[in-house]
This record gives sequence, C-alpha cells and structure tokens, in this order.
Amino acid sequence: MNAVVLIDTLLLILVTITAVAIIEVRNLYASVMLTSVYSLLMALVWVNMHSMDVAFTEAAVGGGISTILLIGTLVHTAREERPIKARVHWKALLVTAVTGAALIYGTFDMPRFGDPHAPIHHFRVPEMMAQTVGFANGTKGKQAPPEGFDAREYRSFNGRVADIPDDPTDTAWRETSVLAQDGIIVPKVIGHAAHAPVHDDAGHHPHPADDFNGHVPNSVTSLLAAYRGYDTMFETTVIFTAGISLIMLLRRPRRQGEAQVGAPMVDQAVLRVVTKMSVPFILLFGLYVITHGELGPGGGFQGGVVIACGFILYALIFGRAALYRVLPPPVIDVLTGLGVLLYSGTGAACLLLGGQFLDYSMLNRLSPGDGESLGMTLVEYGVGITVSMVMLNIFNQLAEEQPT
Amino acid sequence: MLWNEIVTTVLLGLGCVVSLTGALGLLRMPDFYTRLHTAGKTDSLGQFLILLGLVFVTPDLLTQIKLVGVAMILMIAAPTATHAITKAAHLNDLRPWTKRDPGGEP
Repeated sequence: MNAVVLIDTLLLILVTITAVAIIEVRNLYASVMLTSVYSLLMALVWVNMHSMDVAFTEAAVGGGISTILLIGTLVHTAREERPIKARVHWKALLVTAVTGAALIYGTFDMPRFGDPHAPIHHFRVPEMMAQTVGFANGTKGKQAPPEGFDAREYRSFNGRVADIPDDPTDTAWRETSVLAQDGIIVPKVIGHAAHAPVHDDAGHHPHPADDFNGHVPNSVTSLLAAYRGYDTMFETTVIFTAGISLIMLLRRPRRQGEAQVGAPMVDQAVLRVVTKMSVPFILLFGLYVITHGELGPGGGFQGGVVIACGFILYALIFGRAALYRVLPPPVIDVLTGLGVLLYSGTGAACLLLGGQFLDYSMLNRLSPGDGESLGMTLVEYGVGITVSMVMLNIFNQLAEEQPT
Repeated sequence: MLWNEIVTTVLLGLGCVVSLTGALGLLRMPDFYTRLHTAGKTDSLGQFLILLGLVFVTPDLLTQIKLVGVAMILMIAAPTATHAITKAAHLNDLRPWTKRDPGGEP
C-alpha cells in the first residue's frame, strides 16, 4: 500500500474519532481543546498531501486563534453542557444524511487520488514545469533541476499532451490538445501577463507571469498566488464584515471615569519573562509569513493570525490596559478598514494603469512578473492587516467585562 | 552507513523512547501532576532529540538552522506551558498524590 494513503487513512480515522468525541464530551473546555486537536490532525493531512499553504492556515486559524477565541467565549458561558434527553431527531438526521450523501456523490466527479490523467497534470503542471518553477534558471536561491530533467519530455508523458510549443506565450496548443477533444474546456488566457513582452535582463529568466520572473521557488504557491484575485478580496471583506458586526453587537460606550480592567499577571514571573522574550519573535515571524506569502507557503491570513496571537499573548500576561497603550482601540478600528482598502486600492491602481481590476502585472510594465510580485506583496499585507486587527478586536470584545 | 546516519538513528531512537515513556506515563501515573511530568518530557526532551536527529540528515543549511530554531523555541515554550498548567492546577487547590494521601484528583 502507498505510504501516503496509509498515513492519510490513519490520520482520517483519528479525525473521525476526534469529531465524535467533540460531540460526546460534556465539558466544554475539553470540547474546545478537542477542536484544536481536530484542526492539528487536519493540518497533518494537508502536509501529507504537500499542500503547505492550506496546512499552515489550518494550524494557525483552526488550531491557534479559534481555540483562543472559543475559550474567551467560554468565560462568558457555562463550563458544562447541560445534559439533554437522548432522543433521535429524525428530521435533522435525514437532512444530515442527504447532505452527506450529496457531498459524497459530488466527489465521484473528481479525479481519483493521484490520478495521472487529472486535468491539472495536463494543463497547469506541464506549463509550470516548462517554466521550471522551483528549478534553476540562474536565479539566486534556486536548486538545480534534477539530473536529466527535460521539460519537453515531461510535458509529453504518457502521450496525452504532445506538441506543446517551447514558447510559453504560444497558447494555440490548448485548443488542439487531447483535452479539448475530450470536451474539457481549456480557457485561453487573453490579456494576461503571459502575452506581454518579458525582458531577459540579469537574473531574470524570460518566463511569463506564473512564477513572477523566477521569484517563486514553490509551484503550489505559485499556482495559488496566481489566483489571488476577487476570491481572496471577498474573503478579506467577509472577515472585515465579521469584525464590524461583532463591534456592533458587543461594544458598549464606556461610562465616564470607568477604568480599563483586565488584570495583569503580576505574580507570574516565568510567564512574564517568557512572554517578554517571545512576543517580538512572534510578531517578526508574522511579518515574515506575510512578506514571504508570495514566494512560499504562508500569506496574509496565516501571518495576520500569528500577529494577532502575539498581541493577545501580550494582553493576557500584561493586561489589556498595556495592549491599549500599544494599540489604542481607535487605531485597531482604523487599521481594520485600511487592510481592505489596501487590497482594493491595489486593484484600483491596476485599473488606473490601464489593466483589469487586480491585474497586478500592470504595476510594472517593463517586467510584468515583477509587477505581479509587487501586487501580491501589497495584497498580502492588506489581508494580513485586516485579519490581525479583526482577530484582536474580537478578542478585546470578548475579554471586555460584560454589563451585568 | 555514514557517520551522520548513525548519529541520526541513535538520536531518533532516543527521542522515540522518551516520547513513548511520556505516552506510557500519561496512562499509568496516578495523578495530574505526575502525568503532566511525563507528558512534559515528550514536549521538551523528546522533540529536541528528534529534531536534532533530523539536522544531521538534512542537506540544506537553511533547513538545518530552521530545525534548530524550532527546537530552541519549543525548548522554551513547552516547559512554560507545562509550568502554567501546573500552576493553574495548584492555584485551584489540587492536592498532589502521595502514598499516604492518595486523595486529590484521581
């Protein structure tokens, strides 16, 4: 049996057991910790499938910040779930069963696990291998291609897609390929940076945009990054909306002369020292993850969550008053909106420069790959700012003393 | 076998033994504090030995540095977490198990 499948099966069995345990456990703290375990197990599944970006998000968001926020919620509610009379709710069971069956039915249309005939292996992957994403082309920090690697041979493996021209800007093969004959529609990319002239200056390989002029050493990230467009923008907007709604729901006007509480842990020497030591590194790591998001696994969501965790740790140990001295609530509110503005502003800048909305290659006409790189970085920072500030806001609202 | 493979095998083996004792202790020990004591070793010594073992078979210098970095961070973070949990239990008046006084928490 394939080792990947074996490990996946074991992990997924553990995931199922954890899910059942979450439902069964009556102590809500234990339940929250089990959701964290669930997320970590899922992150391991993603790592096993080599999708580091998703694994990172699952670990940071599912295992990290949502656990913190759920525990924050538990402070305001009961610790134990009230025992309920065990009886089967037939309608709910029916709806769940039908939904589950529909989802499983949907997977029948997906390619089999590890299927070499899957569309991705005929459309995107050959192109990326032809561009030698992740391999050497003289760019600093890249590894040499494996011995005997031949892009042309790779592309024509098992004879399904032959005759892909070496010139990556020539996309005519897509219409005549076997895939098109099979009825799989391969879109022709028009107006994309791939058609723009690319300058072969020092250190820059003449490829189209998919690896941003050889910046991206990781092909999965390169694929993900190339699709950072409307979907990511609206994801950010959803988080922004959630933050705004929470402020409207939970925030109350501060009464005159009311002191900001949130007791600092003055007598916990070990925790104070370790926190003081580690918070700068946590924030630095968060910034690294955001900045590195266009090059490797990481990005605005993960980095933003890491930064939020750093601030939350600081607030837990030194008290929320100390946090508010560093980041006053009005600043948090303004930054929440600023991130979304930065994202859509980058898109608008592309529009003003003559391209389409969020067509980052317009940011640098001479070298579209560099333009994409710049656009990605700006967008990741936009996402990171909004995500971290919304998370911080949620934490602050939860930690606030509720009126009794 | 090359020398670095031997070092890695020994370190990984030791790490696995430490992790296994941690798991065993979690099941066998009589009360909260002793269970945490064995579990804490898995987080600190176990991970340190395993990550250090991996350093010797990693060809890339950057990855080696990252592995050592992760080991150092866990070396600080894991004992702190154990300390915080223990202290929280202590402040909640959880009596430790003794032979004469097996009370406290089962």
